Amino acid sequence: MMAIFQPFFNIISETGRVVQFFFQMLDVWKRKSISRDLMFEQIWKVTVQSSATTALAGFFVGAIMTVQFTMEMKDFGALGYLGGLSTSGTIREVGPLLIAFMLAGKVGAFTSAELGTMRVTEQIDAIRCLGADPIQELVLPRFIAIVISSFFLLGLGLLLSIFGGMLLGKYFSGVNYEEYLRHIPTIVSLPSILSGLFKCFVFAVVLAVICTHRGYSTTGGAKGVGRSVVQTAVSTMVAIVIADWATSLLADIALKIFLRSR
Amino acid sequence: MIEFKGLVKRFGDRTVLKGLDLTINGGEILFVLGTSGTGKSVLLKNLVGLLKPDAGQIWIDGEEVSAFSEEQYLPIRKKCGMVFQHPALFDSLTVFDNIAFGIRRHLQCTAKETQQKVSHSLKLVNLSGVEQKLPAQLSYGMQKRVSLARTIALEPKILLVDEPTTGLDPVTTNAINQLIFELSRKLKTTSIVVSHDMQCALDIADRIVVMDQGNIVDQGTPDELRKSTVPLVKDFLSEILQKEAEQ
Repeated sequence: MMAIFQPFFNIISETGRVVQFFFQMLDVWKRKSISRDLMFEQIWKVTVQSSATTALAGFFVGAIMTVQFTMEMKDFGALGYLGGLSTSGTIREVGPLLIAFMLAGKVGAFTSAELGTMRVTEQIDAIRCLGADPIQELVLPRFIAIVISSFFLLGLGLLLSIFGGMLLGKYFSGVNYEEYLRHIPTIVSLPSILSGLFKCFVFAVVLAVICTHRGYSTTGGAKGVGRSVVQTAVSTMVAIVIADWATSLLADIALKIFLRSR
Repeated sequence: MIEFKGLVKRFGDRTVLKGLDLTINGGEILFVLGTSGTGKSVLLKNLVGLLKPDAGQIWIDGEEVSAFSEEQYLPIRKKCGMVFQHPALFDSLTVFDNIAFGIRRHLQCTAKETQQKVSHSLKLVNLSGVEQKLPAQLSYGMQKRVSLARTIALEPKILLVDEPTTGLDPVTTNAINQLIFELSRKLKTTSIVVSHDMQCALDIADRIVVMDQGNIVDQGTPDELRKSTVPLVKDFLSEILQKEAEQ
């Protein structure tokens, strides 16, 4: 009977370990300084690693949103709002989710494999023996880099999605560029932007803590590294979707409070 | 002097060290031999604080260290240099930066002094001129020597070496063993070497400890070990004694 519930117990205990690791990181961050050079190096690495795929995906997301909205709005003669609605949808939901999935696939798996390899080849033990803290030297620069880079990538993805939407708006929906851009500032409200940024932050934190934890706690040689990468990919995707639900709920509550106060 | 008193280490249901007692004298070269999975590496990792014992005590120079926190262990780790089974060099750093890593954190050295210490350490392991190379550009044997240089750069009083010759050819194996012996004598360190290599232990150890299933089954000087009646020790010695008889 207990065997049926074992996977749930495993998920709960793994979640507990991830949360514990997160607090351990925060504790180290509070007590010790992080090398700026290491941090900038990681930010640069993460941003460069993911910018091409994010840009490409962003372009097509804008294009897809435009095509989908065109089908719905054509009948109402509301194509002038195409740019605003498409951009609002991207910044509130699709953009942060897309960036998180891109980062999970590329940077999450890479970070997990990198830290996992360092663990099984005793590099992390060597760092401790040489008087340094591996969380300070290895984990925190990567964690901070993933969170900061996600904002750069969100901006890049958003710009490219507007560009993709504009092109498709013109050639598929017959909306010229000025018309497409005109309603973006009116429809994309401050709460939409804040909601998008908040989601982006939460997804990046979730992703960064899971991938660094999985890599850092790898055991079992090369096979263990492979297992960590797979677990990172699966658990980050699931955790991001759950975090999306939770943040959407929170954003909705916050929006209602905001509208009531006006 | 190092003392392990009733050391117990468990991993889940498996007890790796079962109440181990061992004393290592200052300046001694001690070889710890045994089959795989008997807890030899675990013993070293407990000593340097990478693992915490579940029971028992570890004394280093009159100080009980087993309950020390990570911060309290820093001076102990400066005292106990460890060379790992893998070279454990940092892939993204050059040989120079790998060796300077510990110097910058443990010792208050100027850039010039760091440079001198790195060069001196590389010279001690007979590997000058590779400072600007990345670990991937070196052979496995050279990486092991850089790893040794990184450890001795901190001038540790206690040198812990975990399977130094695993995966190396016989020529490099002899060179590394000779290097450990010379460094231990030259730097006057207490050395604990975990190994499978009985021949090497007989050649350079002051004392040999043989472990099986988490405890010590025999120990003594190389000459004493040669006369051992313990089956595992006899197994380890059989090939060597046979070769000697043939000669």
